[in-house]
Amino acid sequence: MKRRTFVRNGILVSSGLLVGPLVRAQAPADVIQVKGASPYEITRRAVAELGGMNRFVARGDVVMVKPNIGWNRTPEQAACTNPEVLRAVIELAFAAGAKKVVVMDNTCHKAEDCYQRSGIEAMARRAGAEVRFSDENRLVAHDFKGEFLGKWPVYRDHLEVDKFINVPILKHHGSSGLTIAMKNLYGILGGNRGKLHRDMGENIADLASGFRSHLVVVDAWRVLVRNGPVGGRLSDVEERRTVIASGNILHADVAAAALFGRDARQVEFLQAAHARKMGEIDIAKIALKSLSA
Amino acid sequence: MDRRTGRLLQRSRILSQILFTVLFFFLLVRSGGGDAARLWWAGLFFYFDPLFLWVGLLAGPFLRIFLLALAPLLLTLLLGRFFCGWVCPFGALNQFFTWLGSRPGQRRIPVARRPLRLKYLLLVALLAASLFTVQLLGWLDPFSLLTRSAATVVLPGANALLQQALLAGPEPLYELGRRVLLTVTQRTFLQAAGIGVIFFGLLLLNLHRRRFFCNYLCPLGALYGLLARWSLLHLPINDKCRSCNACAGHCTYYGSPFKDYLKSECVLCFNCVADCPEAAIDLRFALPGSGRRPALDLGRRRLLGVSAIGLVAAALPLASPARKAGAHSFLRPPGALTEKEFLKKCIRCGACMQACPTNALQPAVFQAGLEGVWTPVLVPTNGYCEYECHRCTQVCPTRALARLTLKEKKQFKIGTAVIDRSACYTYADGYNCAVCEEHCPVPEKAIRLREVEVHDFRGRLRKVKQVYVVPDLCIGCGICESVCPRTDAPAIRVGAEEEQREIPYG
Repeated sequence: MKRRTFVRNGILVSSGLLVGPLVRAQAPADVIQVKGASPYEITRRAVAELGGMNRFVARGDVVMVKPNIGWNRTPEQAACTNPEVLRAVIELAFAAGAKKVVVMDNTCHKAEDCYQRSGIEAMARRAGAEVRFSDENRLVAHDFKGEFLGKWPVYRDHLEVDKFINVPILKHHGSSGLTIAMKNLYGILGGNRGKLHRDMGENIADLASGFRSHLVVVDAWRVLVRNGPVGGRLSDVEERRTVIASGNILHADVAAAALFGRDARQVEFLQAAHARKMGEIDIAKIALKSLSA
Repeated sequence: MDRRTGRLLQRSRILSQILFTVLFFFLLVRSGGGDAARLWWAGLFFYFDPLFLWVGLLAGPFLRIFLLALAPLLLTLLLGRFFCGWVCPFGALNQFFTWLGSRPGQRRIPVARRPLRLKYLLLVALLAASLFTVQLLGWLDPFSLLTRSAATVVLPGANALLQQALLAGPEPLYELGRRVLLTVTQRTFLQAAGIGVIFFGLLLLNLHRRRFFCNYLCPLGALYGLLARWSLLHLPINDKCRSCNACAGHCTYYGSPFKDYLKSECVLCFNCVADCPEAAIDLRFALPGSGRRPALDLGRRRLLGVSAIGLVAAALPLASPARKAGAHSFLRPPGALTEKEFLKKCIRCGACMQACPTNALQPAVFQAGLEGVWTPVLVPTNGYCEYECHRCTQVCPTRALARLTLKEKKQFKIGTAVIDRSACYTYADGYNCAVCEEHCPVPEKAIRLREVEVHDFRGRLRKVKQVYVVPDLCIGCGICESVCPRTDAPAIRVGAEEEQREIPYG
């Protein structure tokens, strides 16, 4: 290591150590969970309680808002992020001074179908966001530097933005148990993603630790409790009328898992993330503020 | 008629050709997107095709909408082969290529007299074969040919070329192009090369003989030609004619009103009237028998001969193993009638392939037998049957695919998935995968997981969620096969096992 690098890193690390606790002290809670009567209102409330969007988005930022648009399903079927939750996040990002908000996903079903039926394309456009389809010609190799997940093709749109806001929907998932924010990051990947289902928990954790979500807003307005991730049957959907927000992706997922009725310690990818020192896995150790709006 | 009238008619004809060609491609492109509940118009051109009126009469139950095809038949009895000259979009394309290939001042692209018969003989052979349930009219019908070629070759090919061109340019231009012109995903067709060689080959043959396909091969043109012999509209020569033969100069087909006029070949392009320096060509309605009797002699023996050939040719596929109701390796689209009925009704037009949003429907090569060439098969390695879609059943002009509601389609069993346990990761290698289970669209899940303890490929005992299929729930959509992450061959495949092919007419 060069001397100059050493000095620069030293300053960065020590200032981080100094400022870090200050920021934490300012933040009222690490995870906010709001239950209420409108998906739009509770989303706004959750972000406000977390300290406001200005904590995460700076003036002039280009912001990626990444919902789950994986499936050709309606909002009622709860396989994709609720459009109202998304609208609130996009509006908040603009209000915080974002120059541009981009919405995109790499879908499982045909992209146009998913964008349309989920209601996300129309809603995002109305809120002023730019809606993009994932384009194979924009794939670049990104190094996640994980033990399981190293270099993998990523749509460079996600690497070219200033801030990344992860807006997943909480739902049941056959192989990983649950899909929340960490699993939602599959949507930035190209390539043969199915291959990552082997050692899925480890891969999800590498994915989330190798790519930063600046803010996580989990849509748990409607929750697909069985036959996920694609679902389809309304009897498998329960209304939980909740949104969870956090700056820490693991903490958001742990709280969402608890809402789902799962102990995070029994969810493979959460264990793997905990082992990577991404945060607490015991919900009791997380500063969670739960309120009704 | 004077030259001015001639030019007016000529220009009207060109305008009409352009409009119908644009309409044809507009409908075709539109049938690839939009609301599936409103797609009746996708088959508009087919409904006006008397060859398919015939197919409908043979295959039953008769679709009344094909009575529309009586309109061009009656109009042909009145006017002659106006359809080939004024309406047919493939005719227009052929004319365009002939025009491209003929440079002014040079020798015109010729047309020969004897092979004009070929199209009539082909028509008779195809009709004879269709009587014996082998229905191949769609191979040569201009609408089938054009729809099939455009859907599987021209449109995807244009998209690929345009994409490459845009990628070479500046990024904002590419982004704009991608948004307004390109399809989100490039469509791929397994037999595009074969269909493309035939299609572009036919277009290039226009440089050798003018309107090659129309003059020599088109069975629809032949049908109209047979009727045009008796049509009431005539182009008689009046006594102003100085025998200069200028009228032959730009005849679209063969001959001229002055010399060797064949009414069955005249498509009313009016180039002759526009070229005549003396206003010597008239337009008159008269009874068929009046005046000259211009007709091509087909020869009774020859007609009998080709009928026999058609019948014998029909016997060959009838005797092929593909006709056995046994095991077969292909999947038909949802709503497909029993194979025998299906082959009788399917006109190989590829409208279903154009409408399929996921590119799952593909033209068959030989897997469905010789007579099944270009019929639609569902190929999950190229795409899956989208659970929320029933477009193919809506656009099929002849109802070879029964018109299923979305609810009916969701329950229609295309086939059944089977897991290859010697290849599936959860069996063969002993580790988790379940991509197929994730994607299974059946709400109750036709693919499920069970946790078992197995030795993995390192010999360690571990818990694995193995996938298995519930055959009774599986609808054979093929999404499992299309997403299986194995890169050699999918470890889960959909076969025709338990395929539902009997559909009550209603």
